[in-house]
Amino acid sequence: MADKPRGDADRQADADRLQALEAKLAALTPKPSGPSPMGKYEQANLAWRMVIELVTGLGLGFVFGYGLDYLLGTTPFLMVLFIFLGLAAGVKSMMRTAGELDRTSGASPEGDKPGPAPDRDERD
Amino acid sequence: MATEETGGGLEFHPMDQFVVSPLFGDGPVAWYTPTNVTLWLALTALASIAVLVLGTRGRAIVPNRAQSVAELAYGLVHKMIEDIAGKDGLRYFPYILTLFMFIVFANLLGLVPMAFTTTSHIAVTGVLALAVFFGVTIIGFVKNGAHFLDLFWVRSAPLAVRPVLAVIEVISYFVRPLSLSIRLAGNMIAGHAVIKVFAGFAAIAAVAPVAIIAVIGMYAFEVLVAIVQAYVFTILTCVYLKDALHPSH
Repeated sequence: MADKPRGDADRQADADRLQALEAKLAALTPKPSGPSPMGKYEQANLAWRMVIELVTGLGLGFVFGYGLDYLLGTTPFLMVLFIFLGLAAGVKSMMRTAGELDRTSGASPEGDKPGPAPDRDERD
Repeated sequence: MATEETGGGLEFHPMDQFVVSPLFGDGPVAWYTPTNVTLWLALTALASIAVLVLGTRGRAIVPNRAQSVAELAYGLVHKMIEDIAGKDGLRYFPYILTLFMFIVFANLLGLVPMAFTTTSHIAVTGVLALAVFFGVTIIGFVKNGAHFLDLFWVRSAPLAVRPVLAVIEVISYFVRPLSLSIRLAGNMIAGHAVIKVFAGFAAIAAVAPVAIIAVIGMYAFEVLVAIVQAYVFTILTCVYLKDALHPSH
C-alpha cells in the first residue's frame, strides 16, 4: 500500500477512503466512550485544585484589602472585610470545581430524566 | 535556597536544581543573559515543532509513531474544546494546542536527567496563565461588549446582595490565573524536590536499594503528573474560554 499521496487523484482517493473508514468506525464504536481519556487522573487532581483555590482566594482577598487600605488610609478595616470576601470567593470557586466533578461523573447534565417528573413535583 | 544538612556525609540540595544560572561564564543574570531557562524553553519549542511539524511530514494514512503522537494530541485538544467551549471555541484551537504542547514538553523535558524544569518557575507558569487570563478577558469583552460583566452580576440573587456578590465574583475571577500558575509550578517543584531527596538517601549503602526504588516510583509518577498537569491547564483554559464566549450564568 502506498504511504504517501502522489497526486491530486491519489489525494482524493485517500480522502474518500478515510471518509469511508470514519463512517465504518462511527458505526462500530460504542456510543458513550466514557467522559474523557484522562477523567480518572483529573479527578485525583480535583482535591488539590480545590485547596489551591481556597487558599489563593483568601490570599487575594488579603492583598486586595491591604492595597485598598494603603490607598484609602483606612488601615485595618478593608483588609478584614476583604479577607472574608476572599474566603467567600475561594469557597465559591471551590464549589464550582466540585460542581465540575458532579458533572463529569454524571455524564449528561440535563435532559436525561424526562420520565416521571410531573406527578413527583407536587410532593417535593 | 539550598537546604544544607551535613550529618554523616548526607547532603541534600533538593532546591539547587531550580537555580537560574548563565549558560556562558558566571556573573549576574540580566534580562538579556542566555541562561539555562532560555536553553530549555528553546528546546521545548523545538521539541513541539519536531513532533507537530516534522513528525507529521509523511502525512501517511497509516501514521508512523511520531505522527500518531501528534494526531493523539491534536485529537485530544480538539475534542476537549468542542466538548467544553462548544463549536465556536474551535476558533481558538491553535492557541490552546500550542499551550498544551508547550506545557507537556516543558514538563517532560524537565524530567530528563540534568535538565532544567522551566515550568517549576512561577515566572514561566505565571506568564502562561496571564496570557490565558488576558486573552480570555479580551475575547469576552470583544464578543459580548459590556454584556460580559453579567458574569459578575448575579441576577438570580436579590438586588441588595448583588454588589457584595459582585465583589466576590471579581475576586474569584482573579483567583483563576493565580491558581493556574501556582498549581503547575507547585506540582513541578514538589515532585522534583522529592526525587532529589530520595536520591540523596541513596548515598547511604544500607537504604540505597529502597531509595533507588523510590526514585523510580516517583519518576514514573512524575511522568504521569507532567501530562496530567498540562491536561488540567488546558481544560481550565477551555472552561474560562467558555465563560468568555457565553457569560450568562
